[in-house]
Amino acid sequence: MTLRKFTRAEATAYGFLAVTLLFCLLPFIWVVLASVDPNASLFLSLPKGITADHFVKVFTANNGRRWFFNSLVTVGATTAVVVVVGGMGGYALSRTNAWWKSPFLYAIILVRVLPPTALIVPLYKFMLFANGLMGAVVRSVVPPDSARSAMQICGFVDGYLGLILVLSAMQLPLALWIIKTYFDLTPKDYEEAALMDGANGFQRMHRILVPLALPGLGAAGLLTFIGAWGDFLMPLTFISSAELQLLPIGLFRAFQRANTIDYGYLSALALLYMLPAVVAFGLARRFLIQTFTGGIKG
Amino acid sequence: MATISIENVRKNFGAVEVIKGVSFEVADGQFSVLVGPSGCGKSTLLRMIAGLECVTEGDIKIDGKRINDVPPHQRGIAMVFQSYALYPHMTVAENIGFSLDLKKVPKAKIRQQVGQVAELLQLSELLDRRPSALSGGQRQRVAIGRAIIKQPRVILFDEPLSNLDASLRVQMRAELQRLHQELKPTIVYVTHDQVEAMTMADTIVVLNQGNVAQWAHPIELYRHPRSTFVATFIGSPRMNLIKGIIDFKEATPTFAAAEGWAVPLAGRDLATTDLQSVWLGIRPEDIRLVGANAEANLSGKVAIVERLGAETYLHVVKGAETLLVRVQGDIALRSGDTVHLALDPAGFHLFDQADQVFPA
Repeated sequence: MTLRKFTRAEATAYGFLAVTLLFCLLPFIWVVLASVDPNASLFLSLPKGITADHFVKVFTANNGRRWFFNSLVTVGATTAVVVVVGGMGGYALSRTNAWWKSPFLYAIILVRVLPPTALIVPLYKFMLFANGLMGAVVRSVVPPDSARSAMQICGFVDGYLGLILVLSAMQLPLALWIIKTYFDLTPKDYEEAALMDGANGFQRMHRILVPLALPGLGAAGLLTFIGAWGDFLMPLTFISSAELQLLPIGLFRAFQRANTIDYGYLSALALLYMLPAVVAFGLARRFLIQTFTGGIKG
Repeated sequence: MATISIENVRKNFGAVEVIKGVSFEVADGQFSVLVGPSGCGKSTLLRMIAGLECVTEGDIKIDGKRINDVPPHQRGIAMVFQSYALYPHMTVAENIGFSLDLKKVPKAKIRQQVGQVAELLQLSELLDRRPSALSGGQRQRVAIGRAIIKQPRVILFDEPLSNLDASLRVQMRAELQRLHQELKPTIVYVTHDQVEAMTMADTIVVLNQGNVAQWAHPIELYRHPRSTFVATFIGSPRMNLIKGIIDFKEATPTFAAAEGWAVPLAGRDLATTDLQSVWLGIRPEDIRLVGANAEANLSGKVAIVERLGAETYLHVVKGAETLLVRVQGDIALRSGDTVHLALDPAGFHLFDQADQVFPA
């Protein structure tokens, strides 16, 4: 009797899990099928043929290639900034005994806790002001005909730099916490041994600390990449030029086109949008596991 | 090779003074051990010699030259850490050769020197392994290799054997002594284990609460401890300390124990002392079992019998006191038996109420 009851409970559990799994997987299945379906529609259906036209279209029409490039540049630079600043800051926060350490750590996590939408207006005002200053500087050093393209790189509003800084500021608190915690688990003995061996500050960082902290830096970098890659509000707010548009905004605009939604194109774009995050996760998964399960193994 | 002088060194961490004016010397090529209980400041002192902690007051000199403000790597000092601190991302060869690599020594020369050190430490087979693939003893040897490849004037050891099991510790003690005899560096070695200190040291500096309690040759420390702290810290098992008074009523002064037995203190110049309360110190090997005759100074009941094979230790209870007595290994005694003890006057140590030896 007991055995039968158990089996029934088990069957129910597996049945429930299967339904949940299907529910979770359906959007992905739809995206994959629709992206190769010549007649993709809003409804899930098996494609009657297979085509690569949608992917070709992404890279040839509608700036898809440009969006992809813009996303990679801004999110890549954001990740680099966060890993470098978070690495140095996390190390400093781990090693200092200053009285402000704990208040500071909790204060920065507040940035993460507050909904970004609530801060967007003052942030935009501030960035606009900074953009004005930057514009004045740029105009004074760059010839007038190339001022616009210079501002697209180093402007604070509608420029790469501004978006990179905003995305970095949003991702930095979590990275600082992860890296600080990782350095907490890294004994000071390694640095002292290197000091006794005659390593200067740069050599200690480059030869000892960075290799030791690689899993922590990798985990922080991965979470930053995924977080910034998926961000929608900041590129929407801070980028207005069509040529600076990022992939999530392009995807959104493609979906917004009333009555003429090209589902095949849309899902090819969505698939491409997912790809870097999945690849980044695949590459850095080892670091993530090492960071959250152990730390340094001597 | 170098002489180290520690001159009236103090160290404060905030308002807390952890080293309170310490002075001693380590002669050229000497193996000197800093020993003391946890928190006595021995590791802090070692780190100050290394240059990893700054000196609050006083001077540290190597060969007469003040090194307080000299950066660690310019002091000609190498250090073996308690945790070994082997770089986990480097192989054994890279770990040992790291200091030479930093000095931009040609790769071929590094390989050759690493090879020599590895041979000396029996690590030749392990050069391509990472530290995580080594046993405790092998890691210990790599840490020593990393220190000696620099050909330092001084090698500092911070409790290097504390992470090893008992048998490996005995083996490594012998190996360290062999290395010292072969290479003859000046060594300062920190441990809380007095057996390590006694077996390896040329001189022992006993530290207690940030002060030097005594600084001498191991046997001198064992035979002539200047305080009850040193008397009980050095020697295993520890010295017996018996509370009592000195009685001057007889022709020869007598030690009268609080538990009602007495023993004459012949041959000691106690004329100038008029002490009420004293401690009589006597080591377990200076107490003998005797028959119930005039030779016996006291009798007591055996509480515990500790058999170590070659010797046996008896815990003999007399009133509120327990005396530790060393006897031969095969003695047929059981707890509850009554024994008679004779104390050897040559092994007596007298300490005053301030726990200092007297006559001084």
